[in-house]
Amino acid sequence: MLAFFLPLFLIFLMIGLPVFFALLFAPGLLLWLNGQERDIALLYRNVYNGMDSFPLMALPFFVLAGELMNRGGITTRLVEFSQALMGHLRGGLAHVNILSSILFAGLSGSAVADTSALGSTLIPAMEKNGYSRKFAAAITAASSVIGPIIPPSGIMIIYAYVMGESVAALFLAGIVPGVLVGVGLMVMVRLMADKYDLPKAERIVTQGQTISKTEAAFSFVLLRINFAGVLVGLFAAVSAILGAYDVVVSVNGWLAFLVFLPIAHVSLLRIRRTVSPDFRIICKKAVVPLQTPIIILGGILVGVFTPTEASAVAVGYALIVGLFILRLLKVRDLPGVLMRAALASSTVLLLVGAAVAFKTVVSLSHAPETMAGFILGLSDNPLILLFLINLLLFAVGMFLDAGPAIIILGPILGPIFVDLGVHPVHFAIIMSVNLTVGLATPPMGLVLFVASSVSGERVETIAKAILPFLLVEVFVIFLITYVPAISMTIPRLTGFVQ
Amino acid sequence: MMTVLRPLAWVNTHVLRLGRRLGAAALALMVVVILTQVFCRYVLNNALAWPDEAARFLMLWMVALMAPSAMRWGGFVAIDTLPNTLSRVPGLALNLVLLCISLVVLLIAVQHGYGHTFGFGGKFDSSSLRIPLEWVGMEGFKIKLRFMYGSLMFCVVMLIVITVELILRTILSLVSPDTEQPGTDEFAMAMGAAD
Repeated sequence: MLAFFLPLFLIFLMIGLPVFFALLFAPGLLLWLNGQERDIALLYRNVYNGMDSFPLMALPFFVLAGELMNRGGITTRLVEFSQALMGHLRGGLAHVNILSSILFAGLSGSAVADTSALGSTLIPAMEKNGYSRKFAAAITAASSVIGPIIPPSGIMIIYAYVMGESVAALFLAGIVPGVLVGVGLMVMVRLMADKYDLPKAERIVTQGQTISKTEAAFSFVLLRINFAGVLVGLFAAVSAILGAYDVVVSVNGWLAFLVFLPIAHVSLLRIRRTVSPDFRIICKKAVVPLQTPIIILGGILVGVFTPTEASAVAVGYALIVGLFILRLLKVRDLPGVLMRAALASSTVLLLVGAAVAFKTVVSLSHAPETMAGFILGLSDNPLILLFLINLLLFAVGMFLDAGPAIIILGPILGPIFVDLGVHPVHFAIIMSVNLTVGLATPPMGLVLFVASSVSGERVETIAKAILPFLLVEVFVIFLITYVPAISMTIPRLTGFVQ
Repeated sequence: MMTVLRPLAWVNTHVLRLGRRLGAAALALMVVVILTQVFCRYVLNNALAWPDEAARFLMLWMVALMAPSAMRWGGFVAIDTLPNTLSRVPGLALNLVLLCISLVVLLIAVQHGYGHTFGFGGKFDSSSLRIPLEWVGMEGFKIKLRFMYGSLMFCVVMLIVITVELILRTILSLVSPDTEQPGTDEFAMAMGAAD
């Protein structure tokens, strides 16, 4: 009888019962009918145990860091920086929109925050530049799905926790797929630019840019540290390649950093001569906000922080930057920011607790074995099954947000595909990217509604205009599915996946 | 019905407003606690025993204090295609059924919550959390686990009260659609109150 809890759960979900209650009611009801009242107590305890987790704490911290960074002019700085880099191309502001989403993804990790923050700045600017409003809203919504794919990512923390995977491995695995979605969208914009004669834009919108002395000093130091860090990374990669050919290059990392620091300084001085003062200041103004993803990923990669500690450090950094360096954040804003972050993360944490309880009953019911039997009955070729599962995930993503969908489907589908030989991290990325794209698909795509409210365009109109971009995203999903190296190379190179 | 709904809504508004302030403070404290741990571990080379558990304690209470507000404002994720496509009366009737199912789940949960919080397990001491009263010349003591377990039970109790309020609101909308209902202290207002 217990096997019936899945269909029952789906019925409750479809009639509109909140996911939290559906996750508890359907299995609870069948446990009760089965005479397993003791297991209902287990269900309750697992909700508690599911929330009582140190790694899960990264979730509210990343939400809070994103909220703090979103205050004031961070968005404008990122847009100006993207425009300075890509505005001169055909379809310039559409490219700027996509690049801003990629950069914004490293700060917030939320598609909704991305659409709302970038949309309110870029949609009016694109309209002014000659784009139709529906196109501007569609590209904003389509590119916002990059947010939860590139780290830090809330849905990947949820997946890692519910499925017992490494948060760091998932973060690293999400980098290339996220960038790939962005590049794919840029290619589509370039193709459309020829067909619809999309305009170029000015690289520098506001002439006579200024920057405070404090921020200029911070940018000066941070830029050199970043550049030297990149050179050390390249050096380490070359050493690793040479090591594979038995050529041992052994240099202390800190020593290499000290050697590369003056090289970075001289290189930046040379670059400085080739660009205009406005371009230089716009780049400098983007340095401080863009340190957040560097702190998070750098800290995790070097092994200084756990993901939870990295997220808390990101909050501390965002606070110091907002209050003392950029001075865009006021102390009186803090209660509102904290409340918003606590409210957003509390519902998700409660849902994760319910998911852990739900997972217990999934195990008790042997539902994965039944599902595995059914799925393997369709085909025993993993490639065909991955195709079918992508269709299923895409359909689910149309109706349900990525977080709850991962919570529900992860424990059911994950073990089946791992048994078929798909790496757990690879499957996590397939699932996360697919369900994230669902945020921009009609009829229930959340970012479509946000784009509609920001732009004033009807949801149906945006849903039609977004179709070419969705096509690109679906293509990228299949690319990620059938070429595991896209997601697995960085975690493997960094040793987070064997 | 308004004689029950009005005071209930008033109490919920004020309790939840206080809860949100405490929840926001809990989140701020979580950050402070974890940053303290990072500082002590990497700068002073002295990892502390208590921050991990203290931060989890605060997170559990943050959820308990914030989730009822989210429920009151319709912030619990649901596929609401069907309720939205139905006309007013069937839509409200379905909503009433869904709220009653939620209430059943919560009433069963509160029984188990009581057993979990005040049962055998709750009597144990926390492994690292203690109140250092020796700092003020008194005897310090370890915090009982029931104070952590109690967070979920508190959350469930508050969700029950909110669900009852939402049921009353739905019934009122069904039987007397023109009656003006008390406000739900929506987020913008709540932010104003916080300021």
